[in-house]
Amino acid sequence: MAKRIRLAQRVVAESDRLAKDLAGRFNRAGVFVANLMGSPGAGKTALLEETARRLKGELRLAAIEGDLATDRDARRIQSAGIPCRQINTGGGCHLSARQILDAIAEFDLAALDCLFIENVGNLVCPAEFDLGEHCRVVVSSTPEGDDKPIKYPVAFHHADCVVLNKIDLLAATDFSLEAYRRFVRGLRPRIPILELSCRTGEGMEAWLDWVRTQRRTAAVRV
Amino acid sequence: MHEVALAQALWRQVVSEMARHEGRRLLALDVVVGAWSGADPESLEFALGLLIADSRWPDARVRLRREPLALVCCACGREFQPEELNLVCPGCGGLDVDPVRGRELRLESLEIE
Repeated sequence: MAKRIRLAQRVVAESDRLAKDLAGRFNRAGVFVANLMGSPGAGKTALLEETARRLKGELRLAAIEGDLATDRDARRIQSAGIPCRQINTGGGCHLSARQILDAIAEFDLAALDCLFIENVGNLVCPAEFDLGEHCRVVVSSTPEGDDKPIKYPVAFHHADCVVLNKIDLLAATDFSLEAYRRFVRGLRPRIPILELSCRTGEGMEAWLDWVRTQRRTAAVRV
Repeated sequence: MHEVALAQALWRQVVSEMARHEGRRLLALDVVVGAWSGADPESLEFALGLLIADSRWPDARVRLRREPLALVCCACGREFQPEELNLVCPGCGGLDVDPVRGRELRLESLEIE
């Protein structure tokens, strides 16, 4: 006799459970966690390198790097002076909560102020997977074009902060700052848009201030 | 891109529900795929097909329902289905909108014996 079983279960339920567990650990340790996502080459690693150089004397930082292959990015971050753990996803297009659980085993979370998770370079899939982070940061850059927000709306719609990198290259591109801001605000009216250049350092201070503010909020949760 | 992993996660839920309900035969599974779920329906169906063919219930059918994106305007409360990627509220022109449907990838039900 056939019967129907109603379930209505979210398919990522297991992943959601792990993410919730991660969020609890981060909050108990009082560490601010940011999940950085963006296209390959947008400058996610460059942003973390520059952040490490400028903030390591002030805050206790660490990073987790997600890439399909190699530990090149983790070595770059370590050279900038902070601990970093590399995750190689093989063919995986995003980092999963399970991978983060394994990676944080090597960190003493309570001895950290900020943990940056650099997701796999991809503007599509990482937006779908919660890693227990406090904030999601989308890193984009001027050579990618100003219409990325409306072409990849999910990533931008779920972001808490948008960084526009490589503003030193504005003159060499057809990028319109006005159009970009309009597209981002169309998806997220009140989101901070931080325009900067990791190469020249222009605009970096606003980003560092954003990190400082977020980390103070995270520390209060303990 | 990650539909194989999603199909595997979905299939683990199916297998554990079958055990819980002591099902001998799986006839069909109903899956809801939202437009903003991040899963491509065709790829998901393909991956599920492979898992089913290799399972104890190779005859099980997959019934996939696509859920379009629906948004609610935070300013005036109007619910609407956006045309293309125009996410502006047609009622008041508000930009602050939240998805109410279309984000989900859900295992809705199983038909078993």
